[in-house]
Order: sequence, then structure tokens, then C-alpha cells
Amino acid sequence: MQYKFFLPFFLGASEKGFRDPPCSSITIAMGLLSIIRKIKKKEKEMRILMVGLDNSGKTTIVLKINGEDTSVISPTLGFNIRTIRYQKYSLNIWDVGGQKTIRSYWRNYFEQTDGLVWVVDSSDVRRLADCRMELHNLLKEERLSGASLLVFANKQDIQGALKPEEIVKILNLDAMDKTRHWKIVGCSAYTGEGLLEGFDWLVQDIASRIYMLD
Amino acid sequence: MEGSNPNPVASDALEKKHALMLERLENLRQARKTGSGSGSEAAPSFESVASFLSRFSDAKRSIDAEFSRLRALDPSAKPDVKPQLEALSAMIADLERLVAENSYFLPSYDVRSSLKSISDLKESLDALSAELVPRKKFSFKNKPLKKPQPVVSKEKEEFRVLDDEKSDLGGVRESPGFRNKKGDVLVKQFRVSGEGKGDFSLIDLDSCEVYLKGRFRALFVHRIKNCRIFVGPVLGSVLIEDVEGCLFMLASHQIRIHQAKMTDFYLRVRSRPIIEDCSVVRFAPYQLAYEGIEKELQESGLGEETENWANVDDFRWLRAVQSPNWCVLPQEERIGVVDISDKREQCQDN
Repeated sequence: MQYKFFLPFFLGASEKGFRDPPCSSITIAMGLLSIIRKIKKKEKEMRILMVGLDNSGKTTIVLKINGEDTSVISPTLGFNIRTIRYQKYSLNIWDVGGQKTIRSYWRNYFEQTDGLVWVVDSSDVRRLADCRMELHNLLKEERLSGASLLVFANKQDIQGALKPEEIVKILNLDAMDKTRHWKIVGCSAYTGEGLLEGFDWLVQDIASRIYMLD
Repeated sequence: MEGSNPNPVASDALEKKHALMLERLENLRQARKTGSGSGSEAAPSFESVASFLSRFSDAKRSIDAEFSRLRALDPSAKPDVKPQLEALSAMIADLERLVAENSYFLPSYDVRSSLKSISDLKESLDALSAELVPRKKFSFKNKPLKKPQPVVSKEKEEFRVLDDEKSDLGGVRESPGFRNKKGDVLVKQFRVSGEGKGDFSLIDLDSCEVYLKGRFRALFVHRIKNCRIFVGPVLGSVLIEDVEGCLFMLASHQIRIHQAKMTDFYLRVRSRPIIEDCSVVRFAPYQLAYEGIEKELQESGLGEETENWANVDDFRWLRAVQSPNWCVLPQEERIGVVDISDKREQCQDN
């Protein structure tokens, strides 16, 4: 949201992006894109939205990756924000509660999202249909169409949890729009296993889009 | 700043404007003189009211003639009537331009009357074209886009196939648990090295007594009626959905309760328990006993009473005042310490 306010200023100041005839909308779009890139580059910021059904482990993942205590975590009533230094980037992680009552508020957090983390409780077989429905609803959202998608198949430490490949099938992830950048990673927020692998991919993927692999 | 002496400034601006207009008109006249081949039939300059009027009435007459010719046209000749209507419309436009170009010297009455006859002509043109080329009635149609349609249905099909597949998968991969029992006493002893590493489910139980002893990782409860359920330490979380008329005694790190009615919960929980879409649910502290339970609770990080059993968050009641959906179970109605040491596993689960 905040970048929006800066745009008019940059439109006036940066003429390099507009060398071609101004009537070409492609040129303008590219100009805007380069401006947005430039702003984000300065701050090296990424905005990451964590969503998923309740009880999937979103808050635990965020706290674990931030090196915080995970032994006492109440179900999220509302949302948490963490700013985490990750490699050379600053991740703004929005961890939004997953209870049914507050799922309708997810949409308030879609704006400017660079990366989407969908967390699945791999041991909760019964609710995987709900999980799939909520995910597919989310992916229809236009404001998230450019966001990279990381699916965490969480709770792999629980015996009998479904494997990431099984989750791919049940959530029908292969049927997603081909333009979507996505990856599924099995993890355990309890042990920390897989978390870095997932975030490494997500950050690299976002960086290659926004910062052109600098 | 202009307040003190507005008139000179205003008249200055007016004069400037007037000069500009004159200049524009001069340019126009020059253009008319030099560029007679500009395509406009009104190009020649005459600057006399009489010649304008005769020219105007000539043009109008030919337009009128065209009108009557088109009106008399056989309706079957519709296909080629359109270009003729367009030509007529162009003639009217030319006439309008003629008036506009000469308006600067015409008396205002003539300008008004000629503009009036032009608008009349336009109106009759509209009427005529409506008569000869009936416009298609505009309406929003639910016209399905040809391409996406099959894709969507295919997707749905895939979903359905997947649903089937899922239920198969659920069959193969059914998590351990007690299902579809009525009026039974169900006992399960978890061993840390074995099933204690996994989750356990209680689904579709009616009027049962359930005893789960030992530590395990996660508990799922779904569609339970009139049951009494006593559970040892759960290392992860407990998720309860759709229960009625039950008693639960649970120890866990997280407890979520959805759609519960008339049920008592005796809890030890590290974080705040939550309820959502619940009514008449009551809470009390955990008081379960069996051999070795203290050690198990400690090893699960549940050794201490946190008093969180009374810190219930109601997701359907986000206000400072107490939720009407839950309350603390009065001391005198609590069941006291429940010792389940004598409960032994008898039957195989599932």
C-alpha cells in the first residue's frame, strides 16, 4: 500500500523509463514496473502472507524461523506481524489467524503480497477437502496472482502424516495456473526441519522477480 | 490583489480574448480562400446573409428529397439502405458545418432557425433509420465464453475424481482412532516408542466412554454425542468439532473447540483454549489420574497448572464482556479427580 503514494512523484522524476512514445501502454507499464522495482530494491523488502486452516501451524513456523520460543502459542485471534532479516532481505511476515470466523478477513492482507505461504496440517486428513477449497478460493484472487506460492506440508514429525507428494495430489496443485511459481516443502515447525529450505526457495523466487537476480 | 481595480484587468482579458477570436476567424477565412479543395462543400465564402440562406435551403431541399426517396424504399432492400442512411447523415453534418462556418456574420435569428431545422433533420433521420434498420434490442445475455467453459467443467470433474480418490486415500490412510461406536467402553494405551508418535481420532461416537492413556502427538475429535472422554497428555494440539452432551478431560498444548453444545471441558492447556460456534460449554481444571500420569505430563511440558483452562477465547464473541457461550463450571458440579488406572485395553482400535 505504501508504495502507491510514492508513484506520482516517481512518474514525474524518472524519465528514463519513458523514452519511447508515451502512447505505448506497454512502455508505461514497464516504466511503472521498473519504478516499483527500484523502490523495493532500496528497501530490499518482501511482504509474505502466511495463511492456511486453523491448527496448521502458521504461528509456530514464524516463531520457529525467527528463533523464538514455540512452547506456548495460543490460537491466533487476529494476526501477528514479524519483520525478519533473511539473507540480505527484510521479510515482513503477516501471520493471519485461520479460524473459520476470521478467514473472511484474509482478503484485507492481500495487497502488495510478494509471497504466499500456505500451511497444511499433513496429519489432518479429514479436513484436506476444506483445505483445498480454501486454497483454490485464495488463488482466484487477482491481487495475489503475481505472488509466489510456497506450500508447507507441516507436521511431518507426526507419524502417519501425509507426504508432500500426497498433499500435491489431494490439493490438486498440478491443476494450478501454469504461470504461478510454486513449490511444496515437507516440514515440521516442531523440529524446524524443512523451514529454511522452504523460505530459501520463496525468497530466491521473489528476488528473481522483483530484484532481477541482483 | 485584483479587488481594488478589477475592471481594467477584466477588460484587458476580454480584449485579448476578442483579438484571439478575430485572429482565429481571419485564419479560417484565409484557409477557406486558399484551400478551396479542402473537401468541404461549404468552403466558398460569400459573407452575405442572402447567399447563405439560398445555399442553406438548397442543401436542405436535397436532403428532404433524399428523405422522401428513402421512405418510399421497399423494405426488402434493407441490406443496402445502411450506406444510404450514412450518406444522408453526412449531408446533414455538412449542412451543420455550413451554418457553423457562417455563423459569425449571420443574424442570431437565422443561426437559431437554421440550427433548429438541422436538429429537426437529425431527429427525422433517427426515426427513419429506426424504421428501416430496426436496432437489435440490447440486453445482457448469459453468453458462455466458449473456451473457459470446458476447462471449468473439466476442473470440476477433476475435483470430483479427486474427492473419490481422497476417500479412497482416507480408507487406505485412515489415521488410528475409534470410529462408529455406540454404547461402548473404549480404552487405548499409547506407547512412546510406537503409536505415541502419531495422531489419534475419535469420530462418530455415541454414548461411549473413552480412555486414552499415555502420551501421543495430536487428537482429532469429530461428531461425538453423549460421550465421556478422558485423555492423557497430548504433545501437540487437540481439535474438536461438532460435539454435543459430552464430557472431555484433556491436557494439551493447544485446544480448539468448534460447534460444541452442552459440553463440559476439564482442561490443562499451555495456551489459551478457543471456542468457535459453541453454546453452553463449561470449563474446569484437569483432574485425571492413572499410574505414571504425572511423569508423562511433565515430559510433555504439561506438568504445571497454568490456569489457562479459564482463559477461553470465543471467536464468536470478540468483546470485552464475558461471552454468553461459555462459563466456568461451578465447583459443586465438578466431578472431582477421576482415576482411570483400572481401565485396560480390551479390544483392538479402529
